[in-house]
Amino acid sequence: MNENEQKRSVGGELVLPVAGVLFTLYYFTTIIDSPWTAQVNAFFIGTILLLLCAALFVKTGLALARGEASFDFRTLFSSVDISTGRLALFFITLGYAILIEWGGFTITTFVFLFLAMTVLNKGKSKGFILALSSSLSLGGYLLFILAFETRFPRGPFETFMEMVLTNGS
Amino acid sequence: MEVDFAFFSELLSHTLTFWWVIIPTIFLGLLVGAIPGFSAANTIIILLPLTLAMEVEIGLIFMIALYCASRMGAGIPAILVNIPGTAGAAATPLDGYPMTKQGRGQQALAMSFVASTLGGLLTTIIALAAMPVLAEVGYYMHSVEMIVVMLFGISLIATIAAKDTLKGLIAGFLGLMIGSIGSDVVYATPRGTMGFLELYDGVPLIPALVGLFAVSEAFIIIEKSSIVTEEGRENMQKPGWSATLEGTFIALRRWWHITWNSLIGLVIGVIPGAGASIASFVAYQQSRTYSKTPELYGTGHPEGLIAPESANNGVTSGTLIPLLILGIPGGATAAIMLVVLQYHGVNFGPSLFFDQPELAYGVFMAMAVTYALMILTILPLSRYMSRVTLARTVYMAPIIIAFTLVGSFVPREYLFDLYLGLVFGVIGYVARKTGYHVAAILIGVILGPLLETYFLRALKKSDGDLMVLFSSDLGNTLWVLLVASMLLPLVLDQVRKRKAAKTAA
Repeated sequence: MNENEQKRSVGGELVLPVAGVLFTLYYFTTIIDSPWTAQVNAFFIGTILLLLCAALFVKTGLALARGEASFDFRTLFSSVDISTGRLALFFITLGYAILIEWGGFTITTFVFLFLAMTVLNKGKSKGFILALSSSLSLGGYLLFILAFETRFPRGPFETFMEMVLTNGS
Repeated sequence: MEVDFAFFSELLSHTLTFWWVIIPTIFLGLLVGAIPGFSAANTIIILLPLTLAMEVEIGLIFMIALYCASRMGAGIPAILVNIPGTAGAAATPLDGYPMTKQGRGQQALAMSFVASTLGGLLTTIIALAAMPVLAEVGYYMHSVEMIVVMLFGISLIATIAAKDTLKGLIAGFLGLMIGSIGSDVVYATPRGTMGFLELYDGVPLIPALVGLFAVSEAFIIIEKSSIVTEEGRENMQKPGWSATLEGTFIALRRWWHITWNSLIGLVIGVIPGAGASIASFVAYQQSRTYSKTPELYGTGHPEGLIAPESANNGVTSGTLIPLLILGIPGGATAAIMLVVLQYHGVNFGPSLFFDQPELAYGVFMAMAVTYALMILTILPLSRYMSRVTLARTVYMAPIIIAFTLVGSFVPREYLFDLYLGLVFGVIGYVARKTGYHVAAILIGVILGPLLETYFLRALKKSDGDLMVLFSSDLGNTLWVLLVASMLLPLVLDQVRKRKAAKTAA
């Protein structure tokens, strides 16, 4: 283990405060010309958030200057993300969120579950995964769309089933 | 008709004859409560054609049973997989989930069921006895008093921040800032919406809940083969009912804790606009403040689980009081009940208790019977439910992501909410990996907009004079209690340290 790996990693710890500062400044620009009722709460909370983030930046800067911490992002990104399949899972999830509008709930959920489980399980037990993914997506269809009549995104499967169930009328 | 003991006995035996409605509804309620995005309110809406077609009495019992069961159901995934089914169960995983990780999921479920049932039963009985007095609580709780109630909930951020104050406060204030997104309540000026029309009404809670808790958790748990530790798995391999019995007795021994926290829930439930999420945060914060072992909270402490569960079930009976007496619903589910019952020609108000006492008191009797039947049906299931935590994470994580993400779509039916759930998932993941508490962010997102609403109302009424915050006797009493609850832990901590030092000497 090298010296940097023994030190506390602080790069990742700064992601949320930096995002918070950027968002707060953006938020302020949206209310600068607004009536005071729209400003008072946000200026109060936003100012405190900015001060808290400033305090964290100073604290982190001092830790870096004293050599107690290292500026890297290993708490957020590491080889574990690849070995566990987390990175792949993230992209499969992203694809699921994007494609569900066109593929519909049942087919997209089936594809997502099958792909994600296969990747995470490193290609093992494909038969079990196939059975599990199909039963869960069909179960979801029966419960959410047929029983609860939720307006989950409809795709080819839901359209086909609707035609079957209404005798094509 | 005279309302006496004989009346209540007859009402009880009459309500029990509807077991065939109550028991299936309990299972439906547990299911919809456990799935984020679904709730008693939207299930009643979905089943509205059925509810409207039922006889008024059956429809009412159905809605009440669904309401109570969904409240309890929301705690199940919160304990087992760190995913609160509704915002009302957002404080439940703080201690419930660590218990599951230790292999005490079955015990935690039993504790939660007993606390929920006793809390619900007790507040139902109190509601029956003290309805006229409780109905007036709403009259005295104006904007100023509500600000202090919100601050009680928000002060939990400071409690959570105890381990790393700076990071905890940043998470809390970031949540409050995110909660400020949307139009302001006075002039509807859009703020911080990044041009998304879907955010004009503010940040929807379910995508925030789903992302911060469920999606981020799914990405974290895949690092291990199971969410339960090795030692916990060994404990869970021993089959039996002992964990259920232990959990039951642990909860029963803390009967005073259940009583106190369910009363907090009852009073908060009576206030229109307040709800289970506020009650559970306030209860957790109070429970920790007055605990002899505050340092154990967050590590799988029974009292940290019992407090929010008894409080959010106390809310259930509380929300129905203003509905029955004043015709003002205390929450979303109560509002839908109002619509259904008005369709059946039921007129709310004090006259309901004279004209149709069997219906007015029947609401609470149905609630009491539901809770009694619920504990009998659900407690034995805790042994089997807890087995879900033994499932391998490679299967569990994708299931959690798929079904909770689409759940975030349900309340408003915008695909935007599904994407928002994913964004909150990323925020939650970064927060967990870098030592920020997702519960602190969520408290801000939930309570921030409510606090702003009451704050602006108070300021508008006083033409911007901040002294309005200290203008009422009740408000000032609450301020004193708030300050006391913030200072007391520090004082008690000092006393404990001195005692420990003396003992050591």
